[in-house]
Amino acid sequence: MTNSDPASGAQPPEEINHVVEHLFRHEAGKMVSTLTRIFGVEHLKLAEDVVQEALVRALQTWPYYGIPRNPAAWITQVSKNLALDVIRREKVFRNKEVAISRFMEESSASSTAEDSVLFGEQISNDSLWMMFMCCHSLLPQEAQVALALKTLCGFSIAEIARAFLTSEAAIAKRLTRAKQKIRDAGIPFELPAGEELTRHLDGVLQTLYLLFNEGYKASGGKNLIREELCHEGIRLGSLLAQHSVGNRPRSHALLALMLLNGARLPSRVDTDGNILRLKEQDRPCWDQGMIARGLYHLMRSTEGDEISEYHLQAGIAACHCAAKDYESTDWPRILSLYDLLTEMDDSPVVALNRAVAVSNVHGPKAGIEAVEAIRNREQLNSYYLLYAVLGEFEALLSNRQAAINYFRKSLDLATIKSEKKFLSKRLRSIEYHGSTLHSY
Amino acid sequence: MSTQTKPEYMLLFRGSDWHKGLSPEEIQQVVTQMYAWFDRLTKQGKLKAGQPLEFEGKIVSQNKGRSVVDGPFAESKEAIAGYFLLQVNSLDEAVEIARDYPALNYGATVEVRPVAPECSVNQILRQKSAEEELAQASV
Repeated sequence: MTNSDPASGAQPPEEINHVVEHLFRHEAGKMVSTLTRIFGVEHLKLAEDVVQEALVRALQTWPYYGIPRNPAAWITQVSKNLALDVIRREKVFRNKEVAISRFMEESSASSTAEDSVLFGEQISNDSLWMMFMCCHSLLPQEAQVALALKTLCGFSIAEIARAFLTSEAAIAKRLTRAKQKIRDAGIPFELPAGEELTRHLDGVLQTLYLLFNEGYKASGGKNLIREELCHEGIRLGSLLAQHSVGNRPRSHALLALMLLNGARLPSRVDTDGNILRLKEQDRPCWDQGMIARGLYHLMRSTEGDEISEYHLQAGIAACHCAAKDYESTDWPRILSLYDLLTEMDDSPVVALNRAVAVSNVHGPKAGIEAVEAIRNREQLNSYYLLYAVLGEFEALLSNRQAAINYFRKSLDLATIKSEKKFLSKRLRSIEYHGSTLHSY
Repeated sequence: MSTQTKPEYMLLFRGSDWHKGLSPEEIQQVVTQMYAWFDRLTKQGKLKAGQPLEFEGKIVSQNKGRSVVDGPFAESKEAIAGYFLLQVNSLDEAVEIARDYPALNYGATVEVRPVAPECSVNQILRQKSAEEELAQASV
Protein backbone atom coordinates (compact mmCIF):
# COMPACT_ATOMS: atom_id res chain seq x y z
CA MET A 1 0.00 0.00 0.00
CA THR A 2 1.38 3.35 -0.97
CA ASN A 3 2.58 5.76 1.67
CA SER A 4 1.34 8.84 -0.10
CA ASP A 5 -2.04 9.90 1.09
CA PRO A 6 -3.81 12.15 -1.40
CA ALA A 7 -6.21 13.15 1.29
CA SER A 8 -3.37 15.13 2.92
CA GLY A 9 -3.60 14.01 6.49
CA ALA A 10 -6.23 13.10 9.01
CA GLN A 11 -8.62 15.41 10.77
CA PRO A 12 -7.33 16.94 13.98
CA PRO A 13 -8.90 15.17 16.95
CA GLU A 14 -11.01 18.20 17.91
CA GLU A 15 -13.34 17.88 14.94
CA ILE A 16 -15.14 14.68 14.12
CA ASN A 17 -15.31 14.52 10.37
CA HIS A 18 -18.62 13.16 9.29
CA VAL A 19 -18.49 11.00 6.23
CA VAL A 20 -21.21 12.00 3.78
CA GLU A 21 -24.20 9.67 3.96
CA HIS A 22 -23.98 6.70 1.61
CA LEU A 23 -20.51 7.79 0.46
CA PHE A 24 -19.07 4.28 0.65
CA ARG A 25 -21.91 2.90 -1.37
CA HIS A 26 -21.63 5.56 -4.06
CA GLU A 27 -17.85 5.38 -4.26
CA ALA A 28 -18.06 1.61 -4.49
CA GLY A 29 -20.43 2.00 -7.44
CA LYS A 30 -18.12 4.41 -9.23
CA MET A 31 -14.96 2.36 -8.69
CA VAL A 32 -16.58 -0.93 -9.69
CA SER A 33 -17.55 0.68 -13.00
CA THR A 34 -14.05 1.98 -13.68
CA LEU A 35 -12.30 -1.23 -12.63
CA THR A 36 -14.65 -3.33 -14.72
CA ARG A 37 -13.66 -1.25 -17.71
CA ILE A 38 -9.98 -1.84 -16.92
CA PHE A 39 -10.26 -5.52 -16.09
CA GLY A 40 -12.90 -6.35 -18.65
CA VAL A 41 -16.53 -7.31 -18.24
CA GLU A 42 -15.64 -10.94 -17.59
CA HIS A 43 -13.85 -9.86 -14.40
CA LEU A 44 -16.73 -7.92 -12.84
CA LYS A 45 -16.51 -10.01 -9.66
CA LEU A 46 -12.82 -9.21 -9.33
CA ALA A 47 -13.58 -5.51 -9.62
CA GLU A 48 -16.16 -5.87 -6.85
CA ASP A 49 -13.67 -7.73 -4.65
CA VAL A 50 -10.99 -5.08 -5.07
CA VAL A 51 -13.37 -2.29 -4.15
CA GLN A 52 -14.60 -4.22 -1.12
CA GLU A 53 -11.00 -4.68 -0.01
CA ALA A 54 -10.43 -0.92 -0.25
CA LEU A 55 -13.42 -0.26 1.98
CA VAL A 56 -12.17 -2.81 4.49
CA ARG A 57 -8.85 -0.97 4.59
CA ALA A 58 -10.72 2.19 5.44
CA LEU A 59 -12.42 0.29 8.21
CA GLN A 60 -9.07 -0.91 9.55
CA THR A 61 -7.29 2.43 9.58
CA TRP A 62 -9.62 5.41 9.63
CA PRO A 63 -10.84 4.89 13.19
CA TYR A 64 -7.24 4.97 14.45
CA TYR A 65 -5.74 7.64 12.22
CA GLY A 66 -8.76 9.79 11.61
CA ILE A 67 -11.10 10.16 8.70
CA PRO A 68 -9.21 11.61 5.73
CA ARG A 69 -10.01 15.11 4.60
CA ASN A 70 -11.13 13.71 1.25
CA PRO A 71 -12.59 10.27 1.96
CA ALA A 72 -13.69 9.72 -1.65
CA ALA A 73 -10.20 10.40 -3.01
CA TRP A 74 -8.69 8.03 -0.44
CA ILE A 75 -11.02 5.22 -1.47
CA THR A 76 -10.23 5.85 -5.13
CA GLN A 77 -6.49 5.84 -4.55
CA VAL A 78 -6.51 2.66 -2.49
CA SER A 79 -8.77 0.89 -4.98
CA LYS A 80 -6.33 1.77 -7.74
CA ASN A 81 -3.35 0.52 -5.76
CA LEU A 82 -5.05 -2.75 -4.95
CA ALA A 83 -6.10 -3.11 -8.58
CA LEU A 84 -2.51 -2.61 -9.63
CA ASP A 85 -1.39 -5.36 -7.26
CA VAL A 86 -3.94 -7.69 -8.79
CA ILE A 87 -2.86 -6.83 -12.32
CA ARG A 88 0.79 -7.49 -11.57
CA ARG A 89 -0.05 -10.77 -9.90
CA GLU A 90 -2.46 -12.28 -12.39
CA LYS A 91 -1.15 -13.60 -15.69
CA VAL A 92 -4.49 -13.01 -17.34
CA PHE A 93 -3.83 -9.25 -17.34
CA ARG A 94 -0.48 -9.41 -19.12
CA ASN A 95 -1.87 -7.94 -22.31
CA LYS A 96 -3.60 -5.01 -20.62
CA GLU A 97 -0.44 -3.10 -19.73
CA VAL A 98 -1.35 -0.07 -21.81
CA ALA A 99 -4.80 0.34 -20.35
CA ILE A 100 -3.43 -0.13 -16.88
CA SER A 101 -0.62 2.38 -17.09
CA ARG A 102 -3.01 4.98 -18.46
CA PHE A 103 -5.30 4.22 -15.55
CA MET A 104 -2.51 4.67 -13.02
CA GLU A 105 -1.49 7.98 -14.56
CA GLU A 106 -5.01 9.32 -14.24
CA SER A 107 -5.39 11.66 -11.33
CA SER A 108 -2.37 10.78 -9.23
CA ALA A 109 -1.76 12.96 -6.18
CA SER A 110 0.21 15.51 -8.21
CA SER A 111 -2.38 15.96 -10.96
CA THR A 112 -3.42 19.37 -12.23
CA ALA A 113 -6.92 20.73 -11.92
CA GLU A 114 -7.41 19.96 -15.60
CA ASP A 115 -6.39 16.36 -15.08
CA SER A 116 -8.89 15.88 -12.32
CA VAL A 117 -11.66 17.32 -14.49
CA LEU A 118 -10.73 14.81 -17.19
CA PHE A 119 -10.57 12.06 -14.62
CA GLY A 120 -13.97 13.11 -13.33
CA GLU A 121 -15.30 12.85 -16.85
CA GLN A 122 -13.76 9.42 -17.26
CA ILE A 123 -15.37 8.27 -14.03
CA SER A 124 -18.77 9.46 -15.18
CA ASN A 125 -18.18 7.85 -18.58
CA ASP A 126 -17.45 4.60 -16.82
CA SER A 127 -20.55 4.85 -14.64
CA LEU A 128 -22.62 5.63 -17.68
CA TRP A 129 -21.19 2.69 -19.58
CA MET A 130 -21.94 0.46 -16.61
CA MET A 131 -25.51 1.78 -16.62
CA PHE A 132 -25.91 0.82 -20.27
CA MET A 133 -24.44 -2.57 -19.56
CA CYS A 134 -26.67 -3.30 -16.57
CA CYS A 135 -29.73 -2.14 -18.46
CA HIS A 136 -28.93 -4.17 -21.55
CA SER A 137 -31.96 -5.57 -23.37
CA LEU A 138 -30.40 -9.05 -23.21
CA LEU A 139 -31.22 -9.23 -19.53
CA PRO A 140 -34.68 -9.71 -18.01
CA GLN A 141 -36.09 -6.49 -16.56
CA GLU A 142 -35.85 -7.55 -12.89
CA ALA A 143 -32.25 -8.59 -13.41
CA GLN A 144 -31.44 -5.17 -14.86
CA VAL A 145 -32.74 -3.39 -11.79
CA ALA A 146 -30.94 -5.79 -9.41
CA LEU A 147 -27.67 -5.52 -11.33
CA ALA A 148 -27.85 -1.72 -11.39
CA LEU A 149 -28.42 -1.67 -7.64
CA LYS A 150 -25.53 -4.05 -7.01
CA THR A 151 -22.84 -2.66 -9.29
CA LEU A 152 -23.78 1.00 -9.70
CA CYS A 153 -25.37 1.77 -6.37
CA GLY A 154 -23.24 -0.43 -4.12
CA PHE A 155 -26.16 -2.28 -2.51
CA SER A 156 -25.40 -5.67 -1.01
CA ILE A 157 -27.48 -8.72 -1.92
CA ALA A 158 -29.13 -8.57 1.49
CA GLU A 159 -30.06 -4.93 1.01
CA ILE A 160 -31.49 -5.60 -2.46
CA ALA A 161 -33.52 -8.51 -1.09
CA ARG A 162 -34.96 -6.27 1.63
CA ALA A 163 -35.79 -3.58 -0.92
CA PHE A 164 -37.62 -6.05 -3.17
CA LEU A 165 -39.24 -7.91 -0.27
CA THR A 166 -37.76 -11.17 -1.50
CA SER A 167 -35.09 -13.67 -0.46
CA GLU A 168 -31.33 -13.25 -0.74
CA ALA A 169 -31.14 -16.54 -2.60
CA ALA A 170 -33.53 -15.26 -5.27
CA ILE A 171 -31.51 -12.09 -5.78
CA ALA A 172 -28.20 -13.98 -5.82
CA LYS A 173 -29.51 -16.29 -8.53
CA ARG A 174 -30.86 -13.39 -10.56
CA LEU A 175 -27.46 -11.70 -10.43
CA THR A 176 -25.44 -14.81 -11.25
CA ARG A 177 -27.55 -15.47 -14.32
CA ALA A 178 -27.31 -11.88 -15.44
CA LYS A 179 -23.52 -11.81 -15.11
CA GLN A 180 -23.25 -15.06 -17.00
CA LYS A 181 -25.32 -13.64 -19.86
CA ILE A 182 -23.11 -10.57 -19.98
CA ARG A 183 -19.95 -12.67 -20.05
CA ASP A 184 -21.32 -14.89 -22.78
CA ALA A 185 -22.49 -11.97 -24.89
CA GLY A 186 -19.11 -10.25 -24.73
CA ILE A 187 -20.56 -6.77 -24.45
CA PRO A 188 -17.87 -4.27 -25.45
CA PHE A 189 -16.95 -1.35 -23.25
CA GLU A 190 -17.92 1.49 -25.50
CA LEU A 191 -20.84 3.76 -25.13
CA PRO A 192 -23.38 3.10 -27.89
CA ALA A 193 -23.96 5.71 -30.58
CA GLY A 194 -26.56 6.73 -33.13
CA GLU A 195 -29.68 4.61 -33.44
CA GLU A 196 -28.29 1.96 -31.13
CA LEU A 197 -27.93 4.64 -28.51
CA THR A 198 -31.58 5.70 -28.72
CA ARG A 199 -32.70 2.10 -28.32
CA HIS A 200 -30.41 1.51 -25.38
CA LEU A 201 -31.29 4.82 -23.80
CA ASP A 202 -34.96 3.87 -23.72
CA GLY A 203 -33.97 0.67 -21.96
CA VAL A 204 -31.96 2.56 -19.37
CA LEU A 205 -34.81 5.01 -18.75
CA GLN A 206 -37.25 2.14 -18.39
CA THR A 207 -35.02 0.46 -15.81
CA LEU A 208 -34.55 3.66 -13.85
CA TYR A 209 -38.31 4.19 -13.89
CA LEU A 210 -38.86 0.68 -12.51
CA LEU A 211 -36.18 1.19 -9.90
CA PHE A 212 -37.81 4.41 -8.76
CA ASN A 213 -41.28 2.85 -8.68
CA GLU A 214 -40.04 -0.05 -6.64
CA GLY A 215 -39.01 2.44 -4.00
CA TYR A 216 -42.08 4.57 -4.35
CA LYS A 217 -44.67 1.83 -3.85
CA ALA A 218 -46.43 2.01 -0.53
CA SER A 219 -44.82 -0.52 1.71
CA GLY A 220 -46.20 0.43 5.06
CA GLY A 221 -44.29 2.09 7.84
CA LYS A 222 -41.06 3.91 7.36
CA ASN A 223 -39.02 1.76 5.05
CA LEU A 224 -35.86 3.69 4.52
CA ILE A 225 -34.25 1.31 2.12
CA ARG A 226 -37.14 1.67 -0.32
CA GLU A 227 -36.80 5.44 -0.21
CA GLU A 228 -33.12 4.88 -0.93
CA LEU A 229 -34.16 3.32 -4.23
CA CYS A 230 -35.97 6.53 -5.18
CA HIS A 231 -32.90 8.58 -4.38
CA GLU A 232 -30.67 6.23 -6.34
CA GLY A 233 -33.03 6.45 -9.31
CA ILE A 234 -32.74 10.22 -9.15
CA ARG A 235 -28.96 10.10 -8.74
CA LEU A 236 -28.47 7.83 -11.75
CA GLY A 237 -31.01 9.82 -13.74
CA SER A 238 -29.06 12.99 -13.02
CA LEU A 239 -25.82 11.35 -14.09
CA LEU A 240 -27.48 10.29 -17.32
CA ALA A 241 -29.15 13.62 -18.11
CA GLN A 242 -25.94 15.55 -17.50
CA HIS A 243 -23.85 13.40 -19.82
CA SER A 244 -23.78 14.26 -23.50
CA VAL A 245 -24.87 10.71 -24.32
CA GLY A 246 -27.96 10.84 -22.13
CA ASN A 247 -28.84 14.50 -22.52
CA ARG A 248 -32.20 14.09 -24.26
CA PRO A 249 -35.61 15.59 -23.57
CA ARG A 250 -37.00 12.28 -22.36
CA SER A 251 -34.16 11.84 -19.87
CA HIS A 252 -35.01 15.24 -18.40
CA ALA A 253 -38.67 14.32 -18.34
CA LEU A 254 -38.03 11.13 -16.39
CA LEU A 255 -35.75 12.97 -14.01
CA ALA A 256 -38.43 15.63 -13.51
CA LEU A 257 -41.00 12.91 -12.76
CA MET A 258 -38.74 11.26 -10.19
CA LEU A 259 -37.86 14.54 -8.49
CA LEU A 260 -41.45 15.77 -8.33
CA ASN A 261 -42.74 12.48 -6.93
CA GLY A 262 -39.70 12.06 -4.71
CA ALA A 263 -40.30 15.49 -3.17
CA ARG A 264 -43.49 14.18 -1.64
CA LEU A 265 -41.97 11.02 -0.11
CA PRO A 266 -41.57 12.35 3.44
CA SER A 267 -45.23 13.29 3.69
CA ARG A 268 -46.81 10.11 2.35
CA VAL A 269 -46.80 8.25 5.61
CA ASP A 270 -47.82 9.52 9.07
CA THR A 271 -45.91 8.91 12.30
CA ASP A 272 -47.71 5.59 12.83
CA GLY A 273 -46.80 4.39 9.38
CA ASN A 274 -50.27 4.89 7.90
CA ILE A 275 -50.68 5.99 4.31
CA LEU A 276 -51.78 9.56 3.73
CA ARG A 277 -53.41 10.43 0.45
CA LEU A 278 -52.59 13.58 -1.47
CA LYS A 279 -55.50 15.36 0.14
CA GLU A 280 -54.20 14.60 3.65
CA GLN A 281 -50.50 15.21 3.12
CA ASP A 282 -48.72 17.98 4.94
CA ARG A 283 -47.66 20.05 1.97
CA PRO A 284 -45.08 22.20 3.80
CA CYS A 285 -43.16 18.92 4.29
CA TRP A 286 -42.67 18.55 0.57
CA ASP A 287 -39.06 19.07 -0.44
CA GLN A 288 -39.12 22.43 -2.21
CA GLY A 289 -35.56 21.99 -3.41
CA MET A 290 -36.51 18.80 -5.24
CA ILE A 291 -39.64 20.42 -6.64
CA ALA A 292 -37.56 23.29 -7.98
CA ARG A 293 -35.08 20.87 -9.59
CA GLY A 294 -37.97 18.85 -10.96
CA LEU A 295 -39.54 21.90 -12.57
CA TYR A 296 -36.16 22.87 -14.02
CA HIS A 297 -35.78 19.48 -15.69
CA LEU A 298 -39.39 19.61 -16.84
CA MET A 299 -38.52 22.84 -18.58
CA ARG A 300 -35.39 21.24 -20.09
CA SER A 301 -37.53 18.39 -21.35
CA THR A 302 -39.44 20.77 -23.59
CA GLU A 303 -36.31 21.59 -25.62
CA GLY A 304 -36.81 19.70 -28.84
CA ASP A 305 -39.95 18.16 -30.19
CA GLU A 306 -40.27 14.82 -28.56
CA ILE A 307 -43.09 14.01 -26.17
CA SER A 308 -42.80 10.84 -24.17
CA GLU A 309 -44.97 9.28 -21.50
CA TYR A 310 -42.47 10.59 -18.99
CA HIS A 311 -43.25 14.13 -20.16
CA LEU A 312 -46.94 13.65 -19.47
CA GLN A 313 -46.48 11.92 -16.14
CA ALA A 314 -44.04 14.65 -15.07
CA GLY A 315 -46.56 17.29 -16.13
CA ILE A 316 -49.21 15.67 -13.95
CA ALA A 317 -46.81 15.48 -10.99
CA ALA A 318 -45.94 19.14 -11.53
CA CYS A 319 -49.62 20.11 -11.29
CA HIS A 320 -49.83 18.45 -7.90
CA CYS A 321 -46.58 19.94 -6.63
CA ALA A 322 -47.53 23.41 -7.78
CA ALA A 323 -50.87 23.42 -5.93
CA LYS A 324 -50.66 25.00 -2.54
CA ASP A 325 -53.44 22.77 -1.27
CA TYR A 326 -55.61 19.98 -2.60
CA GLU A 327 -58.49 22.30 -3.45
CA SER A 328 -56.26 24.49 -5.60
CA THR A 329 -55.12 21.59 -7.81
CA ASP A 330 -55.49 22.28 -11.53
CA TRP A 331 -57.60 19.21 -12.31
CA PRO A 332 -58.67 20.32 -15.80
CA ARG A 333 -55.02 20.52 -16.77
CA ILE A 334 -54.33 17.14 -15.20
CA LEU A 335 -57.25 15.69 -17.13
CA SER A 336 -55.97 17.02 -20.45
CA LEU A 337 -52.57 15.44 -19.71
CA TYR A 338 -54.26 12.13 -18.94
CA ASP A 339 -56.18 12.42 -22.22
CA LEU A 340 -52.84 12.56 -24.03
CA LEU A 341 -51.35 9.84 -21.86
CA THR A 342 -54.15 7.38 -22.52
CA GLU A 343 -53.60 7.91 -26.25
CA MET A 344 -49.95 6.91 -25.88
CA ASP A 345 -50.45 4.17 -23.35
CA ASP A 346 -53.60 2.07 -23.42
CA SER A 347 -52.91 0.50 -20.04
CA PRO A 348 -56.14 0.25 -18.07
CA VAL A 349 -54.34 1.46 -14.94
CA VAL A 350 -53.57 4.78 -16.63
CA ALA A 351 -57.22 5.00 -17.72
CA LEU A 352 -58.28 4.37 -14.13
CA ASN A 353 -56.14 7.27 -12.97
CA ARG A 354 -57.73 9.37 -15.70
CA ALA A 355 -61.16 8.48 -14.35
CA VAL A 356 -60.17 10.01 -11.02
CA ALA A 357 -59.23 13.21 -12.83
CA VAL A 358 -62.57 13.09 -14.69
CA SER A 359 -64.40 12.86 -11.38
CA ASN A 360 -62.51 15.86 -10.02
CA VAL A 361 -63.47 17.95 -13.04
CA HIS A 362 -66.93 16.64 -14.01
CA GLY A 363 -68.19 14.95 -10.85
CA PRO A 364 -68.34 11.36 -9.59
CA LYS A 365 -71.09 10.23 -11.98
CA ALA A 366 -68.84 11.12 -14.92
CA GLY A 367 -66.03 9.33 -13.09
CA ILE A 368 -68.07 6.12 -12.95
CA GLU A 369 -68.88 6.42 -16.64
CA ALA A 370 -65.20 6.91 -17.40
CA VAL A 371 -64.35 3.71 -15.52
CA GLU A 372 -67.03 1.76 -17.38
CA ALA A 373 -65.63 3.03 -20.66
CA ILE A 374 -62.11 1.77 -19.97
CA ARG A 375 -60.80 -0.45 -22.74
CA ASN A 376 -59.55 -3.82 -21.50
CA ARG A 377 -61.40 -3.10 -18.28
CA GLU A 378 -61.47 -6.83 -17.47
CA GLN A 379 -57.71 -6.68 -16.80
CA LEU A 380 -58.56 -4.68 -13.69
CA ASN A 381 -60.90 -7.31 -12.26
CA SER A 382 -58.46 -8.33 -9.53
CA TYR A 383 -56.96 -4.89 -9.07
CA TYR A 384 -57.93 -3.66 -5.63
CA LEU A 385 -57.64 0.02 -6.61
CA LEU A 386 -60.42 -0.33 -9.18
CA TYR A 387 -62.88 -1.06 -6.41
CA ALA A 388 -61.42 1.57 -4.09
CA VAL A 389 -61.89 4.21 -6.80
CA LEU A 390 -65.46 3.09 -7.55
CA GLY A 391 -66.12 3.04 -3.81
CA GLU A 392 -65.00 6.65 -3.51
CA PHE A 393 -67.23 7.71 -6.41
CA GLU A 394 -70.27 6.00 -4.87
CA ALA A 395 -69.51 7.56 -1.49
CA LEU A 396 -69.41 11.00 -3.11
CA LEU A 397 -72.86 10.27 -4.58
CA SER A 398 -74.05 9.23 -1.08
CA ASN A 399 -74.76 5.70 -2.33
CA ARG A 400 -73.71 4.27 0.99
CA GLN A 401 -74.38 0.58 0.37
CA ALA A 402 -72.76 0.55 -3.06
CA ALA A 403 -69.70 2.26 -1.58
CA ILE A 404 -69.50 -0.27 1.24
CA ASN A 405 -69.72 -3.19 -1.21
CA TYR A 406 -66.93 -1.80 -3.33
CA PHE A 407 -64.64 -1.11 -0.37
CA ARG A 408 -65.22 -4.61 0.98
CA LYS A 409 -64.18 -6.05 -2.36
CA SER A 410 -61.16 -3.80 -2.47
CA LEU A 411 -60.11 -4.86 1.03
CA ASP A 412 -60.39 -8.52 0.01
CA LEU A 413 -58.03 -8.00 -2.90
CA ALA A 414 -55.47 -5.77 -1.21
CA THR A 415 -52.33 -7.54 0.00
CA ILE A 416 -50.03 -4.91 1.45
CA LYS A 417 -50.66 -4.37 5.17
CA SER A 418 -50.64 -0.58 5.09
CA GLU A 419 -53.09 -0.54 2.18
CA LYS A 420 -55.42 -2.92 4.00
CA LYS A 421 -55.27 -0.76 7.08
CA PHE A 422 -56.13 2.29 5.04
CA LEU A 423 -59.05 0.60 3.29
CA SER A 424 -60.47 -0.73 6.58
CA LYS A 425 -60.42 2.79 7.94
CA ARG A 426 -62.29 4.09 4.88
CA LEU A 427 -64.80 1.27 5.11
CA ARG A 428 -65.46 1.89 8.79
CA SER A 429 -65.94 5.60 8.29
CA ILE A 430 -68.52 5.00 5.56
CA GLU A 431 -70.30 2.31 7.55
CA TYR A 432 -70.56 4.38 10.71
CA HIS A 433 -70.80 7.89 9.37
CA GLY A 434 -72.36 7.10 6.01
CA SER A 435 -71.03 10.39 4.70
CA THR A 436 -68.49 11.59 2.22
CA LEU A 437 -65.85 12.58 4.74
CA HIS A 438 -63.01 12.52 2.30
CA SER A 439 -63.35 12.84 -1.41
CA TYR A 440 -60.65 11.21 -3.41
CA MET B 1 7.84 5.09 45.73
CA SER B 2 4.84 6.68 44.05
CA THR B 3 1.94 4.47 43.04
CA GLN B 4 -0.26 7.41 42.08
CA THR B 5 -0.25 6.87 38.28
CA LYS B 6 -3.24 4.90 37.01
CA PRO B 7 -2.70 1.33 35.90
CA GLU B 8 -2.56 0.42 32.22
CA TYR B 9 -4.58 -2.17 30.33
CA MET B 10 -4.17 -3.49 26.88
CA LEU B 11 -7.16 -4.27 24.68
CA LEU B 12 -6.28 -6.79 21.99
CA PHE B 13 -8.84 -6.85 19.21
CA ARG B 14 -9.08 -10.36 17.87
CA GLY B 15 -10.63 -11.41 14.61
CA SER B 16 -9.68 -10.47 11.10
CA ASP B 17 -12.62 -11.76 9.10
CA TRP B 18 -15.67 -10.40 10.88
CA HIS B 19 -16.10 -7.69 8.28
CA LYS B 20 -16.38 -10.11 5.37
CA GLY B 21 -19.76 -9.82 3.77
CA LEU B 22 -20.56 -6.40 5.16
CA SER B 23 -22.12 -4.10 2.60
CA PRO B 24 -20.47 -0.74 1.80
CA GLU B 25 -23.24 0.93 3.77
CA GLU B 26 -22.61 -1.24 6.83
CA ILE B 27 -18.86 -0.72 6.61
CA GLN B 28 -19.41 3.02 6.60
CA GLN B 29 -21.61 2.74 9.69
CA VAL B 30 -19.00 0.73 11.59
CA VAL B 31 -16.20 3.14 10.57
CA THR B 32 -18.27 6.02 11.94
CA GLN B 33 -19.05 4.16 15.19
CA MET B 34 -15.44 3.10 15.70
CA TYR B 35 -14.06 6.54 15.01
CA ALA B 36 -16.54 8.11 17.47
CA TRP B 37 -15.54 5.55 20.10
CA PHE B 38 -11.81 6.15 19.67
CA ASP B 39 -12.33 9.88 19.66
CA ARG B 40 -14.40 9.82 22.84
CA LEU B 41 -11.81 7.74 24.71
CA THR B 42 -9.02 10.03 23.56
CA LYS B 43 -10.89 13.13 24.75
CA GLN B 44 -11.51 11.46 28.10
CA GLY B 45 -7.76 10.91 28.41
CA LYS B 46 -8.23 7.15 28.73
CA LEU B 47 -6.64 6.10 25.45
CA LYS B 48 -2.85 6.34 25.56
CA ALA B 49 -2.14 4.59 22.29
CA GLY B 50 -3.82 2.48 19.65
CA GLN B 51 -2.86 1.11 16.29
CA PRO B 52 -4.17 -1.32 13.70
CA LEU B 53 -2.00 -4.21 12.54
CA GLU B 54 -1.60 -5.40 8.96
CA PHE B 55 -2.48 -9.01 8.42
CA GLU B 56 0.34 -9.97 6.14
CA GLY B 57 3.37 -10.70 8.27
CA LYS B 58 5.53 -13.56 9.40
CA ILE B 59 5.38 -16.21 12.06
CA VAL B 60 8.65 -17.31 13.59
CA SER B 61 8.86 -20.59 15.46
CA GLN B 62 11.18 -23.46 16.33
CA ASN B 63 10.48 -26.57 14.30
CA LYS B 64 13.59 -28.53 13.38
CA GLY B 65 15.43 -25.22 13.35
CA ARG B 66 14.17 -21.68 13.18
CA SER B 67 11.23 -21.53 10.83
CA VAL B 68 9.72 -18.44 9.34
CA VAL B 69 6.45 -18.75 7.50
CA ASP B 70 3.92 -16.30 6.14
CA GLY B 71 1.03 -15.50 8.41
CA PRO B 72 -1.29 -15.02 10.10
CA PHE B 73 -3.85 -15.38 7.40
CA ALA B 74 -6.78 -13.19 6.54
CA GLU B 75 -9.45 -15.65 7.67
CA SER B 76 -8.82 -15.92 11.32
CA LYS B 77 -10.80 -15.47 14.49
CA GLU B 78 -7.59 -15.35 16.52
CA ALA B 79 -5.49 -12.92 14.58
CA ILE B 80 -4.89 -9.68 16.40
CA ALA B 81 -6.25 -6.84 14.31
CA GLY B 82 -5.08 -3.99 16.51
CA TYR B 83 -4.63 -2.85 20.07
CA PHE B 84 -5.48 -0.13 22.53
CA LEU B 85 -3.43 0.93 25.50
CA LEU B 86 -5.80 2.30 28.10
CA GLN B 87 -5.04 4.15 31.27
CA VAL B 88 -8.02 3.79 33.60
CA ASN B 89 -8.76 3.05 37.23
CA SER B 90 -9.50 -0.66 37.19
CA LEU B 91 -9.86 -3.83 35.17
CA ASP B 92 -13.63 -3.44 35.43
CA GLU B 93 -13.43 -0.04 33.83
CA ALA B 94 -11.24 -1.43 31.03
CA VAL B 95 -13.74 -4.24 30.48
CA GLU B 96 -16.64 -1.77 30.33
CA ILE B 97 -14.79 0.13 27.63
CA ALA B 98 -14.08 -3.10 25.75
CA ARG B 99 -17.79 -3.84 25.65
CA ASP B 100 -18.26 -0.88 23.31
CA TYR B 101 -16.06 -2.29 20.55
CA PRO B 102 -18.42 -2.06 17.57
CA ALA B 103 -17.08 -5.19 15.88
CA LEU B 104 -18.36 -7.36 18.72
CA ASN B 105 -21.73 -7.34 16.94
CA TYR B 106 -20.11 -9.17 14.05
CA GLY B 107 -18.22 -11.87 15.95
CA ALA B 108 -14.95 -10.19 16.82
CA THR B 109 -13.60 -10.48 20.38
CA VAL B 110 -11.55 -8.31 22.71
CA GLU B 111 -8.92 -9.56 25.11
CA VAL B 112 -8.40 -7.29 28.12
CA ARG B 113 -4.99 -7.65 29.82
CA PRO B 114 -3.55 -5.59 32.64
CA VAL B 115 -0.06 -4.35 31.87
CA ALA B 116 2.13 -5.77 34.63
CA PRO B 117 3.49 -2.87 36.66
CA GLU B 118 7.06 -2.81 37.83
CA CYS B 119 6.85 -4.04 41.41
CA SER B 120 8.32 -1.95 44.23
CA VAL B 121 10.93 -4.65 45.05
CA ASN B 122 12.56 -4.10 41.68
CA GLN B 123 12.54 -0.36 42.25
CA ILE B 124 14.28 -0.73 45.61
CA LEU B 125 16.88 -3.12 44.14
CA ARG B 126 17.61 -0.72 41.30
CA GLN B 127 17.95 2.17 43.73
CA LYS B 128 20.38 0.12 45.86
CA SER B 129 22.55 -0.86 42.91
CA ALA B 130 22.66 2.75 41.72
CA GLU B 131 23.82 3.83 45.17
CA GLU B 132 26.53 1.14 45.17
CA GLU B 133 27.85 2.26 41.79
CA LEU B 134 28.02 5.82 43.04
CA ALA B 135 29.93 4.70 46.17
CA GLN B 136 32.47 2.72 44.09
CA ALA B 137 32.98 5.59 41.68
CA SER B 138 33.92 7.99 44.42
CA VAL B 139 36.51 5.67 45.90
